[in-house]
Amino acid sequence: MKLKVLPPTLRKNNHYLTLDIKSVSPISKDELVSIVWDNCVRFQGECNTSNFNLWVMRFYEMEKTDEYFHYKSILRCQRDFAEDVRSSLALVNKYNSKNISITTIGLSGTIKSSEKYI
Amino acid sequence: MFFDLNIKGGSLENNIKLATQASEYGWEHINFSYNQKDFQDALQFKDDLKDNLAGIDFDYTLEIRSTNIDEIRKNVNKFRDKALCISVVGGDLKVNRAVLENVKIDALSRPYFKRYDSGINHILAKEAVYNNVAIELCFKDVLRTYLAPRAKVISNFRDIYTLFRKFDFPLILSSGAESVFDIKTTHDFISVFKQTGLTDAEIDKSFKTAGDILEYNKNRSNLIFRGVRRVDDEA
Repeated sequence: MKLKVLPPTLRKNNHYLTLDIKSVSPISKDELVSIVWDNCVRFQGECNTSNFNLWVMRFYEMEKTDEYFHYKSILRCQRDFAEDVRSSLALVNKYNSKNISITTIGLSGTIKSSEKYI
Repeated sequence: MFFDLNIKGGSLENNIKLATQASEYGWEHINFSYNQKDFQDALQFKDDLKDNLAGIDFDYTLEIRSTNIDEIRKNVNKFRDKALCISVVGGDLKVNRAVLENVKIDALSRPYFKRYDSGINHILAKEAVYNNVAIELCFKDVLRTYLAPRAKVISNFRDIYTLFRKFDFPLILSSGAESVFDIKTTHDFISVFKQTGLTDAEIDKSFKTAGDILEYNKNRSNLIFRGVRRVDDEA
């Protein structure tokens, strides 16, 4: 049996971060999920990361350049912890010993409005 | 305004690439840093770089890397008129002290470099205030390390913040970016430093300090000695 959906006042408030991702090697959405979680846990710790309510909502492949594969993504996080998440992701440096860079280019209250940064 | 006084300079094409990326991410002024050996060569393509860049201001920083105090002094005297900002990479206690005592130097970069402590104490902090030498913290040092070394770098940052709050020496924050992978949006850059313990006001002040250094050095040729400047005001 499925749980009944919480009333709006009891739901968590979310914010959506638009991420700009540059990677030397190609990455998939699943790999991005593990990168996001690993780096949040590493920088903020397990207890703090439990507040973040992270979920990769969208994953877009952009045009490839000579130097890197370019992706954009929309990441859900809890409203009061957006700063913590974006600082954790800004410190992503390597994935599988290859250079990777993640930076937040937009912060919105809805998925639709965060899509304008794509 | 968002200033970054330390982006590692390279060839003309590489500089254009870095500046374009920095501009997209919200930076308004960047300084390409070159060491004492490459600085003269870099000056030759400065005009070409100016022609190719729009939407972002740029200039050059001379980043002196040496543990020899005499060599540092000679290089500072040699390049003072040519460089808008001169920084010296610290880490060695003698270098840290000599730099903070030299009024001709603008910034001591990374005083904690390859050290187990912050490289700054209350005496050096007072010297920094007296000689108006900024202390520069590099985002790259947090980005490129992980686990225990990253924790130690952040700990060193915190020690410097404590002294900064007490003595109020000029503090500047820079990215130290070497490639497009190291350049982050201004908001990300700020949020990392906020996580390490700086407040919004302190971060704003550090950007203002960086702007002030550039402004001060534009008028340095008119400076006769401290507090006395030649002005061209007919009124």
